[in-house]
Amino acid sequence: MIASVAFHNFKALRSARLELAPFNLVIGPSGSGKTSLIEAVLRLQALSRRPAGDPAAIKTDRAMLEFRFRPPFDAIGVRIGCASDYTCDLLVVSPPDAPDWPRLKDAIGGLQAFALDHRSMAQPSRPESGEKLLPNGSNIAAVLASIAERAPAAFGELRDAFVRMLPEFRDIDFARVPEGGVTIELPLREHQDGERVGAQDLAQGTLFTLAMLAIAYDPDPPALVCVEEIDRGIHPRMLREIRDLFYRLSYPETCGARRRPTQVIATTHSPLMVDLFKDHPEEVVITQKHGSIAHFQKLADRPDVPELLREGSLGDIWMSGILGGVPEEAAFEEETGEDGPGTPGGEAPGRE
Amino acid sequence: MKVAILSESPADEAALRILVRAVLGTPLEYVTPGLRARGWPSVAQILPAVIRHLHFSTKADGLVVVVDSDDTPVHTAAHDAPGYFHPQCRMCQLRAVFRQSVRRLPPAAGRHRVLRGVGVAVPAIEAWYLCGRDPTVSEEAWSAGLSESRPPYTRRELKERIYGTDRPNLALQTSHALKAVRAHSRDTRRIEYDFPGFAALAADLRTWAATADG
Repeated sequence: MIASVAFHNFKALRSARLELAPFNLVIGPSGSGKTSLIEAVLRLQALSRRPAGDPAAIKTDRAMLEFRFRPPFDAIGVRIGCASDYTCDLLVVSPPDAPDWPRLKDAIGGLQAFALDHRSMAQPSRPESGEKLLPNGSNIAAVLASIAERAPAAFGELRDAFVRMLPEFRDIDFARVPEGGVTIELPLREHQDGERVGAQDLAQGTLFTLAMLAIAYDPDPPALVCVEEIDRGIHPRMLREIRDLFYRLSYPETCGARRRPTQVIATTHSPLMVDLFKDHPEEVVITQKHGSIAHFQKLADRPDVPELLREGSLGDIWMSGILGGVPEEAAFEEETGEDGPGTPGGEAPGRE
Repeated sequence: MKVAILSESPADEAALRILVRAVLGTPLEYVTPGLRARGWPSVAQILPAVIRHLHFSTKADGLVVVVDSDDTPVHTAAHDAPGYFHPQCRMCQLRAVFRQSVRRLPPAAGRHRVLRGVGVAVPAIEAWYLCGRDPTVSEEAWSAGLSESRPPYTRRELKERIYGTDRPNLALQTSHALKAVRAHSRDTRRIEYDFPGFAALAADLRTWAATADG
């Protein structure tokens, strides 16, 4: 949906521009702009619900975000003006009378961003809250139950994928709690007599896996999904399956689905997840911070990547620092081995 | 016979089980869980530890390792000359690691050493899956293309040819891989002819049978 985002004086992103692919894996140290990218998208969503503003009101010396879009919305540009780095309250559409803006606005309004919280996910949820997964995933039980009811075929595929990924379970089931909520129960494969694991007893990774399945098998997926830390709680051997789930959204034709693609922006700190993108460097975005200034670089823009991949895995190469996107480290003063003034024998000053 | 397979994915392991059984012609037991590596050079790095583990902590008779050659030099008969070692050839490198790893291990679990089964898929395992289905894909075609600096296909193209996409999910990859290798499950001569990197694996495996008989 989004073709590019340009940042001007927005937090650490003083002057940065990023072309977005259908799938985008964003890697980099904390504070380098990964979350700012997602915040910018959420700002776009929030402001798109208001009437568009006057272009003359945009102050170019303040923080500003500029969005371009993919076809069929490529004729539309959106600028967001900010009173400060943190307060952005003006959205300007160009051209102001763009006939497709209402449709684009609807698509923007439906985008979803997730920072999942397993403790909230383990709680029962109200059955009527199951239309869309909430940002922290807290209504996962209601969402899965809703998919099972509204789209049994999609739920069947979701369940098949789940029991393939976690074969200790043989199904996804639900139970009502006395207060009227719904909760997840997973029947164990080796206990045909009906032993089940309740949501409160499920591992963090199991809950995250269920959430990502709910996102990937949403019968009516949004135009854009953002997920923070897609590897969190997931065993390294299962990262391939997690990547596949999000490819299902971005490239529906690869799994035989006939629907519009959903653009994905995902962040990770896992070099093992990064390994999975060695054949698609155009999907990897490296965020880098130098001092207080951050910027983006697409991995595909580095001409030496094919050569580097002959020497090591992409994740290891990233970890090494060759590609950037690693935390800055405190500088240590080198010991010269020379005696300082008044420090005979190199002893510490003032020592007797 | 108990076999361990070191591979990059469950899809590769599933396909290799069929091919290994086709060569050995006997039902096999497998070391579980399957052994995984993160591609080259991780395979070569973890191989000594894997061999040591299999030798002392399992009853594995042999270990099968298959890697993609990617863009590295293709193993040739010249590399098999006594004392020869091509530093960029992955077959030569894996065999050297194997040799060095088993050399100093004392007998354990009733056998002298874990037997070696090394194969190199040129340029990727998807080429093996296309054997017999796409006559333009063979180790010879790849080598000829490399010698003229014009590879006849890319790894991405091979994926598209076999899976219909270069982003196959694991389930799709596994089903296509199994379908492809089942075509060779009764007779591996074609894949051995078209892919000497597979023939080398098959030759290793046949020495296992001789070892067991002996």
